[in-house]
Amino acid sequence: MFGQLAEIITNYVEVKKEDIRPESRFMEDLGFSSFDFMSMLGEVEDTFDVEIEEEKAAGIRTVQEAVDYLESL
Amino acid sequence: MNEFSSTIREILVKASEAYGPQDAIRYKAKRDKGNGKKETVVEAKTYTQLREDSERFSAAVDGLGEKGAHIAIVGDNSYPWIVSYYGTVNGGSVAVPLDANLPAEELCELIDRSDATVLVYDKAREAVAAMAREKCPKLKHWIATDPEAAGADVPEGTLLFQEVLDGQQPGYAHSPQPEDLATIMFTSGTTGKSKGVMLTHRNLAENATAQDMGFEPGMVLLSVLPIHHAYCLSMDILKGTSLGSVICINDSLLRVLKNIKLFEPNIILMVPLMIETFAKKLEETDWLPAPIIKAKVFGKQLHTICSGGAYLNPDYLKRFEKYGITILQGYGMTECAPVISSNCPNNKKDGSIGKCMPNCEVKVVDEELWVKGTSVMQGYYKMPEETAETLVDGWLRTGDLGYVDEDGFLFLTGRKKNLIITPNGENVSPEELENKIGAARLVQEVLVREKDGVIEAEIFPDLEYASKKKIKDVEGEIRKIVDDYNEKAPLYKRVVSVKLRDTEFEKNTTKKIKRF
Repeated sequence: MFGQLAEIITNYVEVKKEDIRPESRFMEDLGFSSFDFMSMLGEVEDTFDVEIEEEKAAGIRTVQEAVDYLESL
Repeated sequence: MNEFSSTIREILVKASEAYGPQDAIRYKAKRDKGNGKKETVVEAKTYTQLREDSERFSAAVDGLGEKGAHIAIVGDNSYPWIVSYYGTVNGGSVAVPLDANLPAEELCELIDRSDATVLVYDKAREAVAAMAREKCPKLKHWIATDPEAAGADVPEGTLLFQEVLDGQQPGYAHSPQPEDLATIMFTSGTTGKSKGVMLTHRNLAENATAQDMGFEPGMVLLSVLPIHHAYCLSMDILKGTSLGSVICINDSLLRVLKNIKLFEPNIILMVPLMIETFAKKLEETDWLPAPIIKAKVFGKQLHTICSGGAYLNPDYLKRFEKYGITILQGYGMTECAPVISSNCPNNKKDGSIGKCMPNCEVKVVDEELWVKGTSVMQGYYKMPEETAETLVDGWLRTGDLGYVDEDGFLFLTGRKKNLIITPNGENVSPEELENKIGAARLVQEVLVREKDGVIEAEIFPDLEYASKKKIKDVEGEIRKIVDDYNEKAPLYKRVVSVKLRDTEFEKNTTKKIKRF
């Protein structure tokens, strides 16, 4: 899950997959804008065939939090 | 064809007479497949249905004894939201659209400050509605829009939206006057306190219908922006209605691209932040022919993007032109209902924010743009001093610096007011964030600014306090303070960059921190 998410992340921001850590914060560390982040989660919905609640998405700060949330779905 | 209107009721009545059986609103809905699973389908309401449902809502409000009241509406963009809005304003009451993403405490503060006696809310705002029962003593009626609320543990006295409509007949006969107050919209104040912008029927209706953009009826529009914002409400909903557009509702910011492919719009109103993300999407497969990329990302039907809310780098206009998409940049503020100027398909200039709307005029005073016209607000609700600072002899002081060229096109050169306008068009008051972060004992001084498109907080820690409390990792503790603030803040108000300083900020003669 982490690896697949890291792959998707690299489609949105200029960062190397190996530099993405579980504690990396999407906005502060990886350089996502709020809309990049939402669009990326939209792609994640399709990739993993899940439905993400926008309210829960707004509370996700780090890559690990995203992984934990996706695994709970 | 453009039809000029001076009340919001005129807009809806004319549209229902001209386009009655045509789809007005399309939206996604979940339907039971019968095997325990649900499928997503697109449902629609016609212009006749929209008008009749809104008239039923007006009748219901009157039946509750709340005609003329302030009605707070908080929720995501939805058919019930739009019906509630039209029903409120066309029935002689005042709508107070609120930002659904604000924390519950802030929403309750705004509901109370707006003197709302009715609250219309969706399922995701149930906690707000519950809190409002304690914190908003003026509220008398709660209307839940979500059908899933039926049968749930709904507090006593809550009305269910569909039942409210089903209990009424269409044809409610009230004719609002152009000068009647229609809407109070809260906008960020530079001093940290939100200001309630009072807009009449004329302010909103004439702003929505004054400018003929040459768009044809039946045009498909995808509404992706937050509906409580003047830009979306005025241009997507009111102008869209006046043009007989098919207004498609985007259900989530996560699904904009997916919904573009589903609804196949001809036009979308966006903010620069979205345009920047889509530019990257278009250009990531730039070895394919442009028409194929465009069809893949946006579908074949999209021809126009209107950009507003914040300034767009003019480079994007050429980048999208390559794919057959015209970007029209405009400019405005809530206080002007909201559009002040706009580029039009046959009248545009790259780098400019367009020509002034036909129903207003612009002048430049000490490099600042001042606006006068039928869309300028009546003032800030119960804030006479702030109103007097902003409205001078009928002229609205925008706080933005700019000029008008020899062809009548407006250009922005800077900002006079201390306000951050984020790339997604949200106004953020630096002072509001400084007050919240500065409340922490470890923060002696803080300055919030925009830097490279994100919000930055520069902090001078209280080292004496740190020493007293034996705090070893001052930087770590400061970052925790900012993290705590961010946790409660909506995405667009979060501090992305934190900078520490080891000396006090330079002060001016009144001992205030100098902002550079």
